[in-house]
Amino acid sequence: MLDLAGVSVQFGGLRALDDVSLRVAAGEIVGLVGPNGAGKTTLFNVVSGTVAARQGTLAFDGADLAPLPTHARARRGVGRTFQIPQPMHTLTVTENLLVAQRFGAGRIDRAALAEILDLVGLSGKAGIDAATGLSLTELKALEVAKALATGPRLLLLDEVLAGLEAHGKRMFTQLLGAIHARYRLAILIIEHDIETISTLCPRVAVLDFGRLIADGPPGEVFRHPDVVASYTGRGRVDA
Amino acid sequence: MRGRSLSALVVVLALYALVPVALGGNLYLMSMVVAALTIGGIALAWALLGNLGGLVSFGHAAFFGVGSYASAILVMKAGWPIAAGLLAGGVFAAVSAILMLPALRLRGPYFALAVLAYAHIFRIIATEWKSLTGGAGGIANIPRFPVVLGYDFSGKTGAYWIVLTIVVLFVLVYDRVRNSDYGLALRAMHDSEEATRVVGVNSTLLKAAMLFLSAFMTGVLGAFNAHYINFLEPDYAFSGLWTMLPIVAAIFGGYRTITGPVLGALVVYLVDQLVFKELMPIGHQIILGALLGAMILFAPAGMLPALLRRRGWRHA
Repeated sequence: MLDLAGVSVQFGGLRALDDVSLRVAAGEIVGLVGPNGAGKTTLFNVVSGTVAARQGTLAFDGADLAPLPTHARARRGVGRTFQIPQPMHTLTVTENLLVAQRFGAGRIDRAALAEILDLVGLSGKAGIDAATGLSLTELKALEVAKALATGPRLLLLDEVLAGLEAHGKRMFTQLLGAIHARYRLAILIIEHDIETISTLCPRVAVLDFGRLIADGPPGEVFRHPDVVASYTGRGRVDA
Repeated sequence: MRGRSLSALVVVLALYALVPVALGGNLYLMSMVVAALTIGGIALAWALLGNLGGLVSFGHAAFFGVGSYASAILVMKAGWPIAAGLLAGGVFAAVSAILMLPALRLRGPYFALAVLAYAHIFRIIATEWKSLTGGAGGIANIPRFPVVLGYDFSGKTGAYWIVLTIVVLFVLVYDRVRNSDYGLALRAMHDSEEATRVVGVNSTLLKAAMLFLSAFMTGVLGAFNAHYINFLEPDYAFSGLWTMLPIVAAIFGGYRTITGPVLGALVVYLVDQLVFKELMPIGHQIILGALLGAMILFAPAGMLPALLRRRGWRHA
């Protein structure tokens, strides 16, 4: 479904992504991990179209994504969340989803919206302004709900669990499992918490300094010497 | 909601009937009201771009001037009926806005300044393209509004009805856009344009659409004014006052409201002409400048909204 081949991104002197190739199959959940600055969010930006790749190809369902602007990619089925929630503040929770559904999915389906609100636990907050009266967990839930409302086939989740306490994390992990089961979509999720990733993702890809250094089941990947080195810093000196 | 629409209808009908009866004999006051409504219409168009498109323009004089010249020239040289000229004035102004599209990449003051420079281009064209525009000498004897169904619209009262109709139509269009899905998406864009794009909104296209709509409205008013005044010259048609007065009016009346800019124009223009000008025949606009500065500092959401809020009222 998503097929990145040899993708590189350069920011001035910094190579944010270096020859990254990654495939995500329809319906698959893949964890994307790596230290801060490894290029995880840049990879999301390349897929959603806010950053252009310097080299490499980017295909979604066999079609080339590169020439499409961000909004057109969303309409094709690429949904994403931001690490820092970006709700549309002056709109209510429902209106946030209406905009996403109307423009992302192309038509308004109130029943589907109600289902999304119910699933993410925001039914009771539907009429509330997104700027006020939402906790961090609820803002994150809204972020996911907005992406879902666009009717995605691929969901890019950027640290949706970061900043949540242990209980919130468990709830959210369950929620993501439920979303995956309900909508049968592919999910690429950036997350630092190894336990969460291991629970949720049968497959994990690891980025370090813009390069993909491991890709496989979490049990193998987290024992991979390069991955251990990138997380502990060992081996850096002579690298 | 229904009650509000009904009362709005009553107010509008009263405006059509009562103002000419009350002021019809006083041609000076009638001309003040016509001018105030013209500025009110531009203020509404300017506020639409600011409120929905999130863009501050210092260049609406360009749209006004392009609209006025387009209609005058098409009616005089190509023999178009004036009604078609009014529409063409709007269309030409919208087309002239295409040249402004690159400026949409700019934000805030950078956009405003780019548009200010851009507006100047049209004034130069109108001055230099002498064979078409008559150059700095301008165009005289532009046809007046005709007799329709036995009523002569060339007078002040006829012009009042025409400009009032134009402004009422603009209010309805603005309201329609604001309450549409596109209006919702435009509101969402103010919060985070990137977040709006990733849910499928073509934000550049929507902003461009607001620019075209705003330019169209301003161009129609320019065309109206050309046939009302019957005379055009570049320094008049592209005068910075066609930008400045509507901005003061829109901010005074509340640029995030629909009727506020129109009410603001009526108050600001009439007070300026009837009071400030009497007190200070030369340079009275300096008072408006001071008012604008004070409003931006103390009541950026508008003077009328601030006053009404103090009394516990709201306006649409």
